[in-house]
Amino acid sequence: MGWSSKVRDIAAGICLAALPGMAHAGDTAMNPELPTAASFYTGNFQSLKSRTSDSQSFDPLSLDPPAYLLAANGADAAPGQAGATPATSPAEFHQPWMSGSKAHQYLGLGTVVLAGLTAMAAPEEGCETNCGVQPPRQTSGTTHTRLARATAAMAIATVMTGLIFHWDDIYWEDPFTDPDKMHARLAAAGALMMLYAVNKSAKSTVPTSHAGIAELGAATMLVAIKLTW
Amino acid sequence: MMQRKLKVAALFAIALLTSSAYARAEEDFMGWLLNLERQKNVKPVTGKQYQDECGECHFAYQPGLLPARSWEALLNAEALRKHFGVNAELDDDTLKIVRDYAVENAADKSWYKRSRKIAVATAEGPAPLRITELLYISRKHHDIPAKMIKDNKGVKSLSFCDKCHTQAAQGVYDADTVDIPNYPDWDGWFNK
Repeated sequence: MGWSSKVRDIAAGICLAALPGMAHAGDTAMNPELPTAASFYTGNFQSLKSRTSDSQSFDPLSLDPPAYLLAANGADAAPGQAGATPATSPAEFHQPWMSGSKAHQYLGLGTVVLAGLTAMAAPEEGCETNCGVQPPRQTSGTTHTRLARATAAMAIATVMTGLIFHWDDIYWEDPFTDPDKMHARLAAAGALMMLYAVNKSAKSTVPTSHAGIAELGAATMLVAIKLTW
Repeated sequence: MMQRKLKVAALFAIALLTSSAYARAEEDFMGWLLNLERQKNVKPVTGKQYQDECGECHFAYQPGLLPARSWEALLNAEALRKHFGVNAELDDDTLKIVRDYAVENAADKSWYKRSRKIAVATAEGPAPLRITELLYISRKHHDIPAKMIKDNKGVKSLSFCDKCHTQAAQGVYDADTVDIPNYPDWDGWFNK
């Protein structure tokens, strides 16, 4: 097995390692009514529904969430009256080794790492002086092209997991400078730039400038990660 | 080959800059930008007096959960005499230390992500006086039914952050660290 194949396998392994989080979806009770995006993730719609007096005509979209739930949850409790007997003490609690958020995080970091490896594996292209007969340009089968495609695939997976698991962190009415909104915009733009670079290079039989846009895309994604790191 | 050397040199330069940035993390934009430490949540409480005075009665909420003008409104002699229905008066010296610490580490002066979100969302309008009334906080919890919070004997109110957020004292409020008392099967898997 060649070095390039190993790299490809490692990249595939990273992608596969992120998948168990999605596989766990089967353990979550799926509610066919799916009233809100956030309820989709938590499966709490039934409990919401049961709290309403007229469940037959319950329309979650007609209610203001903070009004129908927070009014109750945010009710005051006098200092010192909190329940002092949590079922599980913090010391006993163990974080899940994988979650939607963690899958998104690992994929994002993996994308940047793969982008760096892709840049490092870039072949020298073009000839300015004393050029002899140039070999045909390879648009597949090289370490660089394989890494580039893996990077693009991982960038797409990163954006998709972000949309799925952090959809309800983004609100249109939030200011432009909201960190999550900036993160989403920059990460999506970075992924698109890398996809464009891969596509442009893959379709060209002659040396074509694509490194700049790809590196800019990776840098944009890096800034996006930093914004919510 | 030259291009590759330049890239390697750039990576080394970034690594060097990053490693030297720890010392000045959070002090300015460049310090934040080059700091690799996680700053996704809220800066944990580091002021001993703040921790002692506030933590004596309730969870010592991180100053990064409210903007500075909120702390100024909350932490003055008059306001503390009727601090959410309780007399929480402090002597002048202690009050100054506590207030200064809260204001200096408030959401609008922090680089931590959740603090920045709170700061951006509260930049306009009246100063919020309750953390639980922040739109950001209410959105984050609006899907959790009352039976898990208000009607849960192990929690009782959204105000008791540390009942469910197992790392609240460290300023970590990720859903992965949530453990709702009496609801161990609450699925945080698909949450933030």
